[in-house]
Amino acid sequence: MTAVSLRGVGKTYGGASARSFAALHDIDLDIETNDFLVVTGRSGCGKTTLLNVATGLAKPTSGTVTVDGADLWGLNDAERTGLRNRTMGFVFQFPSLLPGLSIEQNVMLPLEFSHEEHADARQRARELVELVGLRERMAAYPRELSAGQQQRVVIARALINRPDLLLADEPSSDLDEETEAEIMALFSKVHAERGLTMVMVTHTRQLVAFGTRHVEMTEGALRENDDHTRTAGVVSGAAPGA
Amino acid sequence: MPRGSVTGVEGALLLGNATNTYLPREVVQRISEVPGVAVASPQLYLTSMANSSCCSVSLMFMFAYDPATDFTIEPWLKDKLGRELSTGQAVGGSDVFVPEGRRTIKLYGYDFTLQGNLEPTGTNLDQTLFMTFDSAYDMEQASRTRAKMPLPILEDTVSSVMVKVSPGADRKDVAKALAAAVSGAEAVPAAEMFGSYGSQISGVLRTMLLVVVLTVVLSLALMGLVFWMAVHERRQQIGVLRALGATQSFVLLSYMIEAVVLALAGGLVGTVLASVGLYLFRNLLVSSLGFPFLFPSFGGLLALIVVGLLIALVVVAVAAFVPALRASREEPAVSMRE
Repeated sequence: MTAVSLRGVGKTYGGASARSFAALHDIDLDIETNDFLVVTGRSGCGKTTLLNVATGLAKPTSGTVTVDGADLWGLNDAERTGLRNRTMGFVFQFPSLLPGLSIEQNVMLPLEFSHEEHADARQRARELVELVGLRERMAAYPRELSAGQQQRVVIARALINRPDLLLADEPSSDLDEETEAEIMALFSKVHAERGLTMVMVTHTRQLVAFGTRHVEMTEGALRENDDHTRTAGVVSGAAPGA
Repeated sequence: MPRGSVTGVEGALLLGNATNTYLPREVVQRISEVPGVAVASPQLYLTSMANSSCCSVSLMFMFAYDPATDFTIEPWLKDKLGRELSTGQAVGGSDVFVPEGRRTIKLYGYDFTLQGNLEPTGTNLDQTLFMTFDSAYDMEQASRTRAKMPLPILEDTVSSVMVKVSPGADRKDVAKALAAAVSGAEAVPAAEMFGSYGSQISGVLRTMLLVVVLTVVLSLALMGLVFWMAVHERRQQIGVLRALGATQSFVLLSYMIEAVVLALAGGLVGTVLASVGLYLFRNLLVSSLGFPFLFPSFGGLLALIVVGLLIALVVVAVAAFVPALRASREEPAVSMRE
């Protein structure tokens, strides 16, 4: 079953000006339910733009994006935002926790936007913070945590709405190798245990091994790597699901 | 009034200032006989006293009128006191009082019983004592034997004559007839009096309005810049919130609520401080203005604070709206690119 579908998607920055730049060219991509899709490519090749367009964070210049059977840009802003809130969890490259909120409040934040009563919100937050190994830091504030710990809280926040789709944009680029391995192990665990569809964008080719699918981006175009399992073998000591 | 004394009489009537202009009393009869004149009522503006113990300010003025013909003060007296003033009785401006331990106001050796006080006006009328001609003449008599300095009232003189025009008569025609009938006097229609004060006040009001408008425009520009910077600084956070499920209206509303809270807090501090400053320096401000100014009451100040708060609220809300709207409408991906 297809979770996200992109058909003829293009994205050009700068409009019709001479300095316009085409970040995506006529992309066709189906992301199937329970896929762990890894998108690799050099900096500036359009990976983040692909992720943004696929999630409704950026409007494509051409083509259609379908999520859960709904044409994202056929919806109005409130509907699109609601769909994103219900079905997607995000892990960003930059520190994205709100500094004025505690870890628990940060994790519960997406529930605040869901317009539904969640009597078990705190219980859910506790379980997720425990899942990412930070049970003792529930009342702490982001500034009191290391970069790796903050990224784990972001993963907990991404899961609070029980999304179908988890999207990660360079989630470990600012982390040391050991912390990166911990984060990737956490992703693998979440993918395996929760049956999520996951899309991870990274410039680190070694991380392809954690995915079930791999696509390579080059100058705004996609190339499916059917032989990605062979690439996974390069990674030592951190096999998928470890 | 005596020719060339318009400004002095205006000052006496509007501000309660002392004036040394006189007409012979016999002109009252001649004026009353002019066609179109219904009533002619003489008035006398007496010289001021320095450091009177019955007045909260250093100078006090005296204003005498004829109860038999008066149509300017008597109606107020009848309305407020229910009767006319008799000899030895007076009504004071808001700053006039009976000295502590006494039952009368003693002026030039003559005792007045104070029957009441007028509402504050912000002019020298607040330190003026209103009395009948008989009282003024009695005081003049008493001053000759009982006062250190006698009260100088020129015999059979008045300062001005108030004229009530008969119904249907043209005021300007009556004024011309009066000027012709009484040499050395000029008649000024009530509507044309206080013109110099009116234009002075209008000038100050126009200047103040200009200052207020400039202040509001500058505040708008400054607040707009401040909110644009505040919004710009938090673009990435806005992008994250939008990605997590915050709608455009949520972002817009959040910023507008923040703006309103800041406007109320800042506006309250500003208006209260301004009010305290105004209250502490009210006398200096009033004397600096150089024209009648009635300082607002406590209730008036509260109303001004509320108006100030409303202006602050509108200025900040308008200034914050454009940056907040732009931030809310921006694509989340663009916001997060910062």
